[in-house]
Amino acid sequence: MEYSIQPVEGMTSKKVFWSALGTGILVLALLLVSFGISGVAYAVPIAGVGDFYVEFDKLEGNGYTFYPKMGETSSEDLAPQGTNLIETLTINHLQLYKDFKVGGNWIRVKITASKPVQITGLQHDAGLIEADAKFQNLALKEYHSDDWQKQFQQTSSKITLEHAKLKTHYLFQKTINMNGMRLTVEKINKK
Amino acid sequence: MRFTKWRKSRPLGGSLMTIISGLMILWVPLNLYLSTFLPGSIAIIGLLFGGVLTLIGIVALFFPHASKILGIFTIFLSILSVIGALGGFLFGTLFGIIGGALLMAWRLTPVRVKVSPPTDMEKSAHTF
Repeated sequence: MEYSIQPVEGMTSKKVFWSALGTGILVLALLLVSFGISGVAYAVPIAGVGDFYVEFDKLEGNGYTFYPKMGETSSEDLAPQGTNLIETLTINHLQLYKDFKVGGNWIRVKITASKPVQITGLQHDAGLIEADAKFQNLALKEYHSDDWQKQFQQTSSKITLEHAKLKTHYLFQKTINMNGMRLTVEKINKK
Repeated sequence: MRFTKWRKSRPLGGSLMTIISGLMILWVPLNLYLSTFLPGSIAIIGLLFGGVLTLIGIVALFFPHASKILGIFTIFLSILSVIGALGGFLFGTLFGIIGGALLMAWRLTPVRVKVSPPTDMEKSAHTF
């Protein structure tokens, strides 16, 4: 009686590979297009960019909490800043921009939204806030804690900011709905 | 030689691509969690997808016969990871699609073995 051993080895079928790759990319494109249509991006972190500016005409938000903290910026490991948490908010005429020095020139990357922007679950770490502010049920509280970041807290049920400019170090949104979004990169004159 | 034999008996390229994509997808939500602990955040989905993709990559190395189905899961999960983890800034998703396609296309085929013609001695041995 004779036995024969047939050696086998792995091969990649080019036809299957390209059709699987094509299908995958097509589905990804469909998903991205559907995001584009609804204008919703989930869990968007804009961290590590550091020191960028947020400007808007009007912000209306509910469930506002503020506390101080030390955090990272693009120029320092630790810098004093304040954390703003807002549960739900709507912003009119939002502008986000960051200036980069490339060679001898300054370049500004700017994101604007022509229509009102709806955000949920906002965390915003700022080094400077300039605005006309209105609060409802504003409470300033001190707590006894060894951690200085927990010693002071400011809360309000409703917040309205107008003509605001915020120097921002960290921005996180659970969901953001940006209709009429525009991203521009332009050269600016800055010393 | 031993490594070549080991490599040819499993979808190494596809597995490595899948593991890299899983780690890339994990990177975004991990960073997010270390800097801000947001309970109940949707980013936990990213953590789950990244972890499962890394695991699929490792499993494909040890169970090469299941590579086709693992490839389908890899493509599916890496596309879904755009929600919640931004798909490792899309690089993770692209790596995952390529890795998954490689896993799907991998199969075992018989090898042509060069056989030398029987010598005179072997021929005479057969006649008896």
